[in-house]
Amino acid sequence: MGRITLDKVTKSFGDIEVIPPLDLTIDEGEFVVFVGPSGCGKSTLLRLIAGLEDVSSGQIRIDRQDATHLPPAKRGLAMVFQSYALYPHMSVRKNIAFPLKMAGMDKAEQDKRVNYAAEVLNLSDYIDRKPGQLSGGQRQRVAIGRAIVREPAAFLFDEPLSNLDAALRVNMRLEISELHAKLKTTMVYVTHDQVEAMTMADKIVVLQAGRIEQVGSPLELYRAPRNRFVAGFIGSPKMNFITGAAAEAFGVHEIGVRPEHLQPSTESGMWKGTVGVGEHLGSDTFLHVHDTGLAETITVRASGEMALRHGDTIWLTPEADKIHKFDAAGLRVE
Amino acid sequence: MATQHSRAAARLMISPAVLLLLGWMLIPLGMTIYFSLLRYNLLMPGNNPYVGWENYKYFLTDPAFSAAIFNTLALVGGVLLITVVGGILLGLLLDQPMWGQGIVRILVIAPFFVMPTVSALVWKNMFMNPVNGLFAYLAQFLGLEPFDFLAQAPLMSIIGIVSWQWLPFATLILLTAMQSLDREQLEAAEMDGAGPFNRFFYIVLPHLARAVTVVVLIQTIFLLSVFAEILVTTNGGPGNASTNLTYLVYAESLLRFDVGTGSAGGVVAIVLANIVAIFLMRMIGKNLEA
Ligand SMILES: Nc1ncnc2c1ncn2[C@@H]1O[C@H](COP(=O)(O)OP(=O)(O)O)[C@@H](O)[C@H]1O
Ligand SMILES: [Mg+2]
Repeated sequence: MGRITLDKVTKSFGDIEVIPPLDLTIDEGEFVVFVGPSGCGKSTLLRLIAGLEDVSSGQIRIDRQDATHLPPAKRGLAMVFQSYALYPHMSVRKNIAFPLKMAGMDKAEQDKRVNYAAEVLNLSDYIDRKPGQLSGGQRQRVAIGRAIVREPAAFLFDEPLSNLDAALRVNMRLEISELHAKLKTTMVYVTHDQVEAMTMADKIVVLQAGRIEQVGSPLELYRAPRNRFVAGFIGSPKMNFITGAAAEAFGVHEIGVRPEHLQPSTESGMWKGTVGVGEHLGSDTFLHVHDTGLAETITVRASGEMALRHGDTIWLTPEADKIHKFDAAGLRVE
Repeated sequence: MATQHSRAAARLMISPAVLLLLGWMLIPLGMTIYFSLLRYNLLMPGNNPYVGWENYKYFLTDPAFSAAIFNTLALVGGVLLITVVGGILLGLLLDQPMWGQGIVRILVIAPFFVMPTVSALVWKNMFMNPVNGLFAYLAQFLGLEPFDFLAQAPLMSIIGIVSWQWLPFATLILLTAMQSLDREQLEAAEMDGAGPFNRFFYIVLPHLARAVTVVVLIQTIFLLSVFAEILVTTNGGPGNASTNLTYLVYAESLLRFDVGTGSAGGVVAIVLANIVAIFLMRMIGKNLEA
C-alpha cells in the first residue's frame, strides 16, 4: 500500500504550463520531500496527486491502479493543509471523526480510532474544545489527527509548519518524523525550507519551475548536486560560487565550495581576503569575507573560538576533494 | 486602558449626543402614550377626557387585532423563510464561476433599489392584475382561468412582493459570507470523503449561520413595519385578510380619525416588536458571539 507513480504528468492553468512533463516514483513507506523556491509548483504537484486538480495530461497511479481520474476521496490519501483547514464549528473530536463519519463507520469504531489518534498526538486534554481555542501547534496536531484516523495509503503535507514559530517548528518536525517511523506510511511533504527537507526526508525531490532538478537522499544531494541550482539550494549557509581565473585554474567555467569546506587561516592559504561581518553561533562562526577577487562575498565556517575581527586579513583554502565543478550550462562536471 | 479621569471626560463629551437621542425618542414615545390614554377623536372635537385603559381595551378586543397579529407574524415568517432559503440558493448559484458574473450580480441586486410603493404597483398592475397582468396572459395561454391574486390570496401575494424586494439583500449578505469561506476547508472536506451535499450541510451551512442571523435580525425589524406594499395593493383587505399591525394602527388613527385608539395600537405594536426582538435575540443572537 502506498506506492505512487507519476507518468509524464503535466499541468497548465490556461496557457501557462506550470508542470512540464514529469516522471516520478514514490515508493511504499518512503518519506519524500518536494522542495523548491516559492511558486515552483510544489503545491500544484501535491494537489495533482491528491486529486484536487485535474492533470492536463499524463497518468497518476496509486498502488499500480490508474488513479488519474479518481475523485480525491477515492484515492485513499489524506492531506494536511498549510492553513490546517480545520472545521471551526466542530470540536476537536468531531473534526477528527469527520472522515470516519463520512465513510459511514459505526460510532464505536469511530470513538476507538479518535481516542487512539488523540493519544498518539497528545490531544486528549483538549478533545472537546473548538479549533479557535487552540494554539498553532495544537491545531497542527488536530489536522494530523484527522489525517491518520483514516489509515490512508499515503499522507500529503503542504508546508504544514510554515505558520509555526521557530522553536515549535523544530518540535513538530521531530514529531512528524517520529510519526512516520511509527506508522511506516508513505508521506509526501512539501516545503520551501531546505532544512526541513534535509532533516526529514528519505528522498528529496528538488523542483524548479515545475521541473525536477534532482531526486536523491539528502546526503546524495549534498555531496553530488547535479547542477548549480541544486548546489545552491541544498546546504546552509549557501555554497560559494566562483567564476573567472580561480575557476579556470580547475579547468572549468565555475566552481562551488561550501562554507564548511573552506579552511580559514590568518597566515597563509590559496585565496586572500578581508573579514566582514561574523555571525557567531557559539559552536561555529560564519564569516563573510570580502575583497577576495572571487565573488562579492565568500562565506566561510570558522571554529567558534577563532579570534578574527572586522577588517582583518584572512586566507582561505578549499578542501581539494570537496570542490564542485560546473560547466557553462550549470551542469556538474566530475 | 482608560483612566478614571479620561472616562469621566468621555462621558461628558458624549452626553450632548445621548441627551439629544433620548429627547428624540422619549418625547414622541411619551406623547404616544399620553394620547393613548385620552378619548381623542378628530371627528368629535371638544375636550379630550382621560379614559384610562379604554382605548387599549377597544383595540385589543377588536376582532381585527388578532387577525392583524396573525398576518404580521405570517408576513414576517413567510418572507424570512423565502428570502433566507432563496438567498442561500441564489448565493450558491452566483458563487459559481460563470460568464458575465459581474452584470448578473448587479441585476440580482436591482430589486432592492426599487421603492416599495413602485415595486408593489408594478406587481399589482403588470403581473397580478387578473385582466391585463402577465400572469393572467400566461394562464390564458395555458388555457387556464386567470387567478386574481390580490383578491383570492392577498396575504400570500404580499408575502411574494415583499420577498422579491428583500431577496437581493439576503442574497448579497449570504453570497459575501460564502465567498469568505476558506477554500481549503472545502477541499479538506472533499478529501475526507464528503460529497457536495455533505459539504454544503457540514461546512457551508454552519459557516453561514452568522450571516443568516444578521439577515433575520435586520429583516425582522423592517418586516414588522411593512406598510406601503399593503396600502397600494390590497388596502388591508379583503376584510382584514392582509391587515398587519402597522396597517391596523394606520386604519384606526387616520381612516377613523381616532387618535386615541391609534396611539394605543402604536404602543401595543412597540411592545410586540420588543417581544419579538427579545425572542429572536435569545434564540439566535448567540450565533453572533465568538
Ligand atoms: N488555480 C491557479 N490558477 C492559475 N495559476 C495558478 C493556480 N494555482 C497555482 N498557479 C500558478 O502555478 C505556479 C505554482 O504554484 P504553486 O504550486 O502554488 O507553487 P508553490 O506551492 O511551489 O509555491 C505559480 O506560478 C502560480 O501562480
Ligand atoms: Mg505552496
